[in-house]
Amino acid sequence: MNRVLRTALAAAAAFALSTPLAACGDNPPAGTTAAPTLKVWIMGDDGKNFTNLVSDFTASTNIKVDVDAIPWDKVNEKLTTAVASGNGPDVMQVGLSLLPSFQAAGALLDLNTYLRDYPNLKNENFLDAVSSDKLNPAGKVLTVPWIADTRVLFYRSDILAQAGFSGPPTTWTQLHDYAVKLAARGKGQYGYYIPQWDAPLPIQFTWQAGGSVTDSTGKVNLDTPEFKRAADFYTSFYREKLVPTASDFDQTQGFISGAAPMLISGPYLAKAVADQAPELAGKWGVTMVPSDKASTALFAGSNMGVWHKSTNVVASLKLLDYLAAPATQLKWYQINGELPTVKSALSDSSITGDANAQVYTKQLQNAKLLPVVPAWDQIQQKLLDSLNNIALKGADQNATLIQLNQDVASLQK
Amino acid sequence: MTQTLRPATKARATTVVAAKVRQATRTKRNGAHLTPYLFVSPAFLCLIAFGVAPIVVAAAVSLTNMDISGLASWRNVEFVGLANYSALFSDAAFWESLRNTAIFVGMGVPVIVVVSLAVAIALNQSSSRFFRALRAFYFLPAITAIVAISLIWGYLYNSQFGLLNYLLSTVGLPPVSWLTDPVVAKFSVALVAIWRASGLNIIIFLAAQQAIPKEYYEAASIDGAGRWRQIFNVTIPLLRFAIFFVSVTTLISWMQFFDEPYVLTQGGPTGATTSISLYIYQQGFRFNEFGFASAASLVLFVIIFVVTAIQLRTRRFSDD
Repeated sequence: MNRVLRTALAAAAAFALSTPLAACGDNPPAGTTAAPTLKVWIMGDDGKNFTNLVSDFTASTNIKVDVDAIPWDKVNEKLTTAVASGNGPDVMQVGLSLLPSFQAAGALLDLNTYLRDYPNLKNENFLDAVSSDKLNPAGKVLTVPWIADTRVLFYRSDILAQAGFSGPPTTWTQLHDYAVKLAARGKGQYGYYIPQWDAPLPIQFTWQAGGSVTDSTGKVNLDTPEFKRAADFYTSFYREKLVPTASDFDQTQGFISGAAPMLISGPYLAKAVADQAPELAGKWGVTMVPSDKASTALFAGSNMGVWHKSTNVVASLKLLDYLAAPATQLKWYQINGELPTVKSALSDSSITGDANAQVYTKQLQNAKLLPVVPAWDQIQQKLLDSLNNIALKGADQNATLIQLNQDVASLQK
Repeated sequence: MTQTLRPATKARATTVVAAKVRQATRTKRNGAHLTPYLFVSPAFLCLIAFGVAPIVVAAAVSLTNMDISGLASWRNVEFVGLANYSALFSDAAFWESLRNTAIFVGMGVPVIVVVSLAVAIALNQSSSRFFRALRAFYFLPAITAIVAISLIWGYLYNSQFGLLNYLLSTVGLPPVSWLTDPVVAKFSVALVAIWRASGLNIIIFLAAQQAIPKEYYEAASIDGAGRWRQIFNVTIPLLRFAIFFVSVTTLISWMQFFDEPYVLTQGGPTGATTSISLYIYQQGFRFNEFGFASAASLVLFVIIFVVTAIQLRTRRFSDD
């Protein structure tokens, strides 16, 4: 008994002694460590390329970068775990579609007071679509732009030429007429392709119809004539049987085989087509999205933010500053194919010399962000469900859209 | 006096002794009384910690507006009363997911019980090497990773380059939208789940059959019962408890139907394969609406509780 007691006491004493020591190890006093290690979350499978990108940064600043690549479909899980436990990285990539979640979670440090010391992070360096006031709650800077992504019209020039069209459609009317003619090529051939999971598409149609999806107070409002027109344009492709109805239709294969010779997609499709069907080179192209009143597309892409409990804020900002330097942005475009958000980098000859990249750059000047509101994920799910119910299940369009507006209103209460 | 006293004293003494003995027995009995509780307490504590406590927490969370901002700071959590429940009951997607779950249960449970019982009886007819190999074969889907299953079935079902549609085309039949037609997709998803869940139930039925004494069959064959007669009048009645067990567990697992639609269709097309569990998952882990999702999961809990209670009740009555 006595021995047990003594052992227990010894263990307790050891624990009591070790606790403050461990605490010291976790939180070195600021400024004493010469070479901190930054923990960075990179979304998708670009972690390896990112490690290569920052090797120069580590060489010049002695700050080590530990990259954690997080698959896109695990990001939300990772975020909720980090928020609940309080343990996060130092720097993290934030996909623009996830920005509302990250902001609501209070996961991001307000960088406003630090920014003046970092010339590369000046607001005017970046594209207008991602200017600070559009991304952040008033008076704060929670993230800074990192990479840009947009949507353009992909078309098969060879198939269009066979159908008697010398160039891609530039207006909605043309897009519709071309699609009708192309869909008449025969069974299993379509005029256009609508990905059934692509929530931003009807939003882009609304912008193209000259409308907006938010009202003056910043709330999402789909009860507008422009949205109705967009919804009608969207469902007309199904009504007139111009698009495949199978939800597992593969857009890359469909474009390569020519079954879907026109569609709106991102630069990643260009990469996939070039990789999988190099023989098609010269038989397809990209152009600005067709316009009804405007030729506006989605501004996608990612920002970078600093974890709100990071103990390496200064080192983190140094990394962000390095990432926003035009040379780094161009290097990333070369090794990973993602477009810069820095204006001066976009005018570099390595980008202006590439026909596709030229179109992307032009489209980026006319691209908009999705609304940065907390309920956006649910709203866009409701929106997609409603449109697909009309298009695929034959639900009544007016009744469905009225219900959608009610749902949107109740989600923002 | 002494004579009259003596018996009284004796009696008192006896009473005292008896009381002492009784007291001793009571103490002993009390101790014995506690022992079973000591034995069940670890299991009981586990049940409370991992079974009852989460339900209580979910019930509490379901009365709040808990979302990701609430996770960050308790200050953002507000008590909202029954607002989550009223929002839930007015959500068309919730009712559709309930309807879908009812359809899945209606399709899956009877088919699984009948198919696995039939296969188990057939497999029990012989213990040759071939039949033993078959047993392993039928159990294979149950131990295969769901991700591998979804990949393989996804390729089989694919409407553009799937094997099933290719086979149909070789005999001149038109392609079927296995996973992309709202009606067909329900069957396709249920089929994978039936295929996957049968293996385990076959093992349960096989084991139960091995426990039936051979004498019953001998007696039956002496009475002139043929093979079919033996199956229907000996095997199946004696498997009553196994059948009951399999139907209860299968019913519960199908009311929580999740894996197959999650990996094969993500609940699509247009919510046609969204089960109630998948709906809860989407609300909770995609939209981070923890309060709302807790309300939905509590509703599911009540439904399962009621259905299982009814099953256990009817079983007791039929036994009487």
